[in-house]
Amino acid sequence: MQTLTNQVASADELDNLPDFSSSQYKDAYSRINAIVIEGEKEAHDNYMSIGTLIPDKADELKKLAVMELKHMRGFTACGKNLGVKADIPFAEKFFSPLHGNFQKAFKEENLTTCFLIQAILIEAFAISAYHVYIRVADPFAKKITENVVKDEYLHLNYGQQWLKANLDTCKEELMKANKENLPLIKSMLDQVADDACSLSMDKEELMEEFMIAYQDSLLEIGLDSREIARMALAALV
Amino acid sequence: MFGLIGHSTSFKDARQKAMDLGYDHIAEGDLDVWCSAPPQLVEHVKVVSAIGKTIEGAYIDSCFVPEMLSRFKTARRKVLNAMELAQKKGINITALGGFTSIIFENFNLLENKQVRNTTLDWERFTTGNTHTAWVICRQLEINAPLLGIDLQKARVAVVGATGDIGSAVCRWLSQRTGVSELLLVARQQQPLKDLQKDLGGGRVLRLEEALPEADAVIWVASLPKNLQIDKSKLRKPCLMIDGGYPKNLDEKFSGSGIHVLKGGIVEFFEDIGWNMMEIAEMDVPQRQMFACFAEAMLLEFENCHTNFSWGRNNITLEKMDFIGEASLRHGFSVLRLQPNNLQAAFA
Ligand SMILES: NC(=O)C1=CN([C@@H]2O[C@H](COP(=O)(O)OP(=O)(O)OC[C@H]3O[C@@H](n4cnc5c(N)ncnc54)[C@H](OP(=O)(O)O)[C@@H]3O)[C@@H](O)[C@H]2O)C=CC1
Ligand SMILES: [Fe+2]
Ligand SMILES: [Fe+2]
Repeated sequence: MQTLTNQVASADELDNLPDFSSSQYKDAYSRINAIVIEGEKEAHDNYMSIGTLIPDKADELKKLAVMELKHMRGFTACGKNLGVKADIPFAEKFFSPLHGNFQKAFKEENLTTCFLIQAILIEAFAISAYHVYIRVADPFAKKITENVVKDEYLHLNYGQQWLKANLDTCKEELMKANKENLPLIKSMLDQVADDACSLSMDKEELMEEFMIAYQDSLLEIGLDSREIARMALAALV
Repeated sequence: MFGLIGHSTSFKDARQKAMDLGYDHIAEGDLDVWCSAPPQLVEHVKVVSAIGKTIEGAYIDSCFVPEMLSRFKTARRKVLNAMELAQKKGINITALGGFTSIIFENFNLLENKQVRNTTLDWERFTTGNTHTAWVICRQLEINAPLLGIDLQKARVAVVGATGDIGSAVCRWLSQRTGVSELLLVARQQQPLKDLQKDLGGGRVLRLEEALPEADAVIWVASLPKNLQIDKSKLRKPCLMIDGGYPKNLDEKFSGSGIHVLKGGIVEFFEDIGWNMMEIAEMDVPQRQMFACFAEAMLLEFENCHTNFSWGRNNITLEKMDFIGEASLRHGFSVLRLQPNNLQAAFA
């Protein structure tokens, strides 16, 4: 364990950590931190909503939702620690298209789309962004994010298991939901690229991490690599 | 299970190959899209050796292309992500092909053991350089006599002599083959001096000085595209073994007594039902492959699940013997000059 930490530390040095106290860093952080806080809050709400559609799983989903609230508090502390006020109105606007799509699917009691949006797309997006962030975060935020990412894998896995078990009946819906929502993820990434860059997070790396997490997840759900390739295309057109 | 991590020879090729494989979404993207494309496990394969041993393997395209070499972070990510994929798939021994082993060494990737939630286990990877070095030496020993070159009397230039493969080749040629004289070429002088001392012989020369004196030249350096050499000053015949990457020497030299042989390539005794070597642009893609790839297969055939070739300057003659014997036993032979090539070269 000792040697592992050493190796991670020296790799970090190679990448030169940003200046966490610079005004440019803090300005960008006010938006990125808000997105993360808002994302965790919406994740909480979404899992609670899904729970009302599957009463026998409501308890499990509530457990996930509670974790999301804990994440939200953790990231709020990260902002405080750097003396940054999160720009929540910005984040609400940022999430509104995806939020709208989730609400629509929820009202239609479309579980496939709800799971794809929250438990696959948002979780994969979070996991990839957190992995990239961990490499360049301040020590306080790094520790918190490392713990959060472990939980997000549980959530991703939960969604995967549900979709895998229901793949026979939900494949078509899954493709359709992917087509409507993956481009939103791509455009969300584009919107934060400059701010992420101020935090030393490359857009290129964020995108690659996301595609890795998303592809792995689709593979786990039971789609073949050609289907996955076709689904991934939706991110680019 | 064995694994091969490869990449296309150029961005243009990579797009064409992706299109052929049905990965249109990547194929149509520009270089930035490729920089964020994840590695792909392209193909699974089953191989039966000449002595009847069956193994399974997989080919992973790292989505790296040589155009990314100048982007340090991108190149590093491509290699690490491909390695992580290999490990996640439970592959026991994976060869780092093409530029990936060079990137691994030169960008010091040993410091990046942790990739997301995977701790890379170096024992599962090999550069394949021991087998490559052995194959290149055998290619020289087998083909030089075909051109009337007597190695005992010949001067052999090794370009990239101080490299991992180059230094192993030098040791073998001086101790096993007994060539008349080794001409040692590389840019940095101190490592050349150290090598010369190690070998107890050999002459350090600049490339332009070495070439006109050499009866055979072994290229084991990646050379700049714009390398200019006056063909008329070379000896005739001259055997050139193109062990570097990419293999583009024949465009520069072939003809009028100069014979260029693709180096570090082996041929399996029967067809392997795979498409992956078309990606690697082999002349006979059903049988031919890079020696470094074959090393991963050999280690799997031999149940030798360890990073057989690793780090720099660790290749011993004993290890070359071991991998060379395994190579022959399982049905590999080294690439030779073709009779029609010989004629074309004389014309
Ligand atoms: N089966 C195959 O075909 C395989 C091919 N390869 C290829 O073989 C080559 C060597 O690999 P490896 O030994 O691992 O690499 P190393 O990096 O260990 O060695 C490279 C050598 O080339 C020298 N060199 C580099 N640039 C020049 C130059 N412009 N002029 C003269 N010398 C130069 C270096 O010394 P200095 O820096 O001092 O000049 C060093 O001696 C690579 O091109 C690699 O891609 C590798 C594995 C398998
Ligand atoms: Fe969360
Ligand atoms: Fe989550």
